[in-house]
Amino acid sequence: MLALRLTRGSHPLVLVRRLLLAAASAGVGFLLLCTLGYASGHPAHASSSVLRLLWCAVPLAATVQLAVAVARTDPSTRPRPGLFAAGVGPARLGALAAVSTAVSTTLGSVVALLFFLHLRGDLTGLPFDGGAAEFLGAGAPLPLAAALTLLALVPLVSAAASGLALRTRPSAPSGAPEAEERLAPAPAPTGLPWGVALTAAGLAVEAYASRGSAGNPLPLPGKLDSTPASVLVGWTLTAIGLAMAGPGLTYLCGKLIQAVRPGAVRLLAGRVLMGEARRIGRPLGVVCAVLSGVIAASVLYTGEPRPFGPLTALGAVLVLGCTTATLLTSALEARQARIRTTEAVLRLGAPPAALRAATALRAGVLLAVFALLTWVVAELAALPLSG
Amino acid sequence: MVVPPDNDVIWARSLHHSHNGSPGLGGVSLGVRDGEVLAVTGPRGSGKSTLLHCLSGQLVPQEGEVWFNSVPVHTMGPRLREQLRRDRFGWIGAEPELVPELTTWENAALPLLLRGVSHRAAKKAATEWLDRLDIGPLAKKRPHSLLQSQRQRISVARALAASPAVIFADEPTATLHRAERSQLLRTLTTAARSHGITVVLATHDAEVAALADRTVCLLDGRRVNTVALPAAPDTEGASACSLSV
Repeated sequence: MLALRLTRGSHPLVLVRRLLLAAASAGVGFLLLCTLGYASGHPAHASSSVLRLLWCAVPLAATVQLAVAVARTDPSTRPRPGLFAAGVGPARLGALAAVSTAVSTTLGSVVALLFFLHLRGDLTGLPFDGGAAEFLGAGAPLPLAAALTLLALVPLVSAAASGLALRTRPSAPSGAPEAEERLAPAPAPTGLPWGVALTAAGLAVEAYASRGSAGNPLPLPGKLDSTPASVLVGWTLTAIGLAMAGPGLTYLCGKLIQAVRPGAVRLLAGRVLMGEARRIGRPLGVVCAVLSGVIAASVLYTGEPRPFGPLTALGAVLVLGCTTATLLTSALEARQARIRTTEAVLRLGAPPAALRAATALRAGVLLAVFALLTWVVAELAALPLSG
Repeated sequence: MVVPPDNDVIWARSLHHSHNGSPGLGGVSLGVRDGEVLAVTGPRGSGKSTLLHCLSGQLVPQEGEVWFNSVPVHTMGPRLREQLRRDRFGWIGAEPELVPELTTWENAALPLLLRGVSHRAAKKAATEWLDRLDIGPLAKKRPHSLLQSQRQRISVARALAASPAVIFADEPTATLHRAERSQLLRTLTTAARSHGITVVLATHDAEVAALADRTVCLLDGRRVNTVALPAAPDTEGASACSLSV
């Protein structure tokens, strides 16, 4: 109940973040239900149904990532004196985060169920009744237990993930221990060599696999029929590699900004980026991987009359939206974590324009570096396939 | 409008301020002479910090005037006040309030860098003051690896390195032990006197106030001559308990 009461009093922006999470959960729930509808409508095509279900894992993962990021920035689950004084420690805060995440995602799942039933024609009284009845397998009855299991997937996984993520966070809202915690710098990320190696290996696997391009055991559910499994393995490796290389690259960007006799703006911008490399770098790497995948796919499949179906489009939008929202939320989290330092710098008489310039410098350098990286990876990924 | 006397570097008249209705200051007037060390004393909650915030331009009093070198501070816009703070004032808080990502010397040089002083000149000034405060060897360390007293000395060096006209110190020794406390304060007052820097020092400690040239007492947001509260008899509570229960 505390989670719900805290939700009621929270800022509109916080509610918007939670609504975004609910929307993402609704999208994934709808995709899962569509898979179920297809499976119950086409009992003969079992392997195709399993394939569709497997593809749903990608938007599911993106949604869970978003759920954890939203829970981390949620003011009601942040360590704060009011709750700490009332005896709410890290364990209870973790539980609180899990409950509030579960509430948002369950809301999304319910919306997904209603929308799905509505489009199938089971619920009437609104426009587009049964608009996609045939497509969603309206003829066959929907197995209730299966539908509920699929719908419970997103709330359970994201609640567990956010609860675990917040349990490990240090919590001491006031006094000396927190000051120590705040002052201790994050260690420099070490994943860059691994990330580069994995990205290169992924690209190599993909190039090697696309020489033959004979079998297609794992095609996209919509239309991407010509995608061989090993190409997908290559893409997955590349994506993991980019996500691992993200923090290291961000750290290097920060180091570059503050190099060679920096003034106040460059010094603050660079050091802060080095400190926040872990927090910002990982979602940035994920966004980079997703974008390069989208670019490569769009390069490959332009020119075909109907390159992908509506559900593939929904999945792509979900993945893109969730990863971008996660990145923005992580940036917000970094800003919240540094708010007392910012106050201290402002107390010295630093003009807010200087702080804004530092933020703009950070964003600009990151954008330039990662846009270039995305483009290069997308070109390299599309090269063997389009040739 | 009354023009302030010439020999006061800061002059305040009937300052009133309340925090969201909770009373902070109720009509405080004072003048700070050039180059003096002025202690503002009083128990906790007597409005010392609010007074320092008002005098240093971090807060605009709801009523009353603040003048710095015959320039009105209370009518300035936020941008001008911020420039005034950056160029002429230094601030030492109870907490060191360092930037954790920067090294010791970079923290001390930050006000100079914010003013646009060159990297080399800022580093030179900062390391000189760090040497004078006996933390020169720690110049390349980050704040997290230092002791609290060393951090607080960095914050003193940061205030002094910018060579301000006035340094505001709000309970600068609140988190330190007695030995470190007197050493830090002696360093601060000596440095300020030898460089002609005015210091306004808020403290609830009579020992600390003894280092100042002049003392101003506050009680419940008003200026008083002495803080001499009637001492509560020790046994009042005990007798009340035994009588009534």
